[in-house]
Amino acid sequence: MNWSLIGWIFIGVSAILLALFTFLFRSGKGYPIRKTEAVEAYKGSQVASIEEGRARQVLLGESFWTYVYPGLGLQALTIVPKLLDLETAVDGGMSLSGGDGSLAVFARQIVDGRYQDGFSTKLSPIGVRTTLPGVTPLSLTAGLLSELSLRPYGSLALLGHYGPAALLLAETVIDKGGRVLGTAGTLAAQAALFPSIQNLLIGEMTYMLPGLFKKSTGHQAAWLTEDILRVLLILGLIVGAILKMIGVL
Amino acid sequence: MKKVLIPMIALLVGLVTLAGYFLPTQLGPTLTIIIGAGILLMSAAGLIGIGYLLHMHIMKLVHKERGGFFSLIVLLFFLVALIAGLVLPPGSAFYRDLILGVQIPIEAALLGVLAVVLLVASLKLIRTRGWTPLSIGFLSSALLSFVFDLGLLHAEPGTLSAELLDFLRGLPWLGARGIILGMALGGLIVGLRVLFMIDRPYGEE
Repeated sequence: MNWSLIGWIFIGVSAILLALFTFLFRSGKGYPIRKTEAVEAYKGSQVASIEEGRARQVLLGESFWTYVYPGLGLQALTIVPKLLDLETAVDGGMSLSGGDGSLAVFARQIVDGRYQDGFSTKLSPIGVRTTLPGVTPLSLTAGLLSELSLRPYGSLALLGHYGPAALLLAETVIDKGGRVLGTAGTLAAQAALFPSIQNLLIGEMTYMLPGLFKKSTGHQAAWLTEDILRVLLILGLIVGAILKMIGVL
Repeated sequence: MKKVLIPMIALLVGLVTLAGYFLPTQLGPTLTIIIGAGILLMSAAGLIGIGYLLHMHIMKLVHKERGGFFSLIVLLFFLVALIAGLVLPPGSAFYRDLILGVQIPIEAALLGVLAVVLLVASLKLIRTRGWTPLSIGFLSSALLSFVFDLGLLHAEPGTLSAELLDFLRGLPWLGARGIILGMALGGLIVGLRVLFMIDRPYGEE
């Protein structure tokens, strides 16, 4: 048995558990809902921003796909539908930004798909804006930094893959009284944001985000699967360390 | 129809890609087509993205928004870079120097600003987060890492203190591995959620 096979077994077990729990939870019996302070604070800041007439910015990351963190771009896009409600479109103050053409295009597709039924653009010509402030990590930061400095922003959500330069964006919004939700990013970004941002999700917590915004049986099944896998991984690491210590591995 | 068709295509492509890892000989050619199509799609999206960038700056100029002057500079230099890129050969040293000569100093300046902001943010860590176990742990770990990375502490190889020093130097990597393992686990679940159509960013919920 090699490590690759162990990886595939792990993926297989995850898929089976997810399918099983999704099926079981359909009867209405779910996994307890988690409340994360960071997400609740962000939801509050959205409402406050709309009431105060302040803009909201969502950064979807620098790139859709990276070798080290392959799931982050997709993760950012899965959160977008949860952020789009009627008030968001009518108010016209929300912008979705990405540093990669594919992120901007997919975000636009999600926005258009979300509001295609029962919503008239005559009600709000602006709706939700999708922008691409820059095509390289630092040009994205520079472009977005100038945008954040020009208007008062009530909130900034940092999703997807980004580097420590996101700290500049976060500090700009915080200085103007806005609130920042930091999720994902690279390890360096997480470390850079930790001292500045109160609402920061790190590690695997980031991947639970869509369900924290709007719960569903599928997300509850995913949470339970992730929790079981976490325990299995911890046990595997401990057993592996013990086996290495006694010279078996 | 759209509600069923798009998720089905996503599911089919996902499953074929996954199966391609198990059956590389049988599904190799199909996988090449799928990956090629994906790259083509991403490249086209990249071009559309640049269109978004230009549109945003043109609109700023048209509507005479604040910061319009900067948009004018962006558009002007975009045109210069585009024309130079089209006229000059791909490996032109002049073109490379022209782009990098502007890009590197600007990025270095931005990183300089970032370093200062990072320092200030670190200094106000306790004010932002208070005296919590996490903030104390973060601060003490950062300080200890700095001390160990200075290279002032040495120990005789093979002694207990050398082992201890190696262990302490390796601690940040342990933390990083822990977070990366967690993120890998989360990434796996995201992929499965999309494959099982629990998350459908490509269509209606």
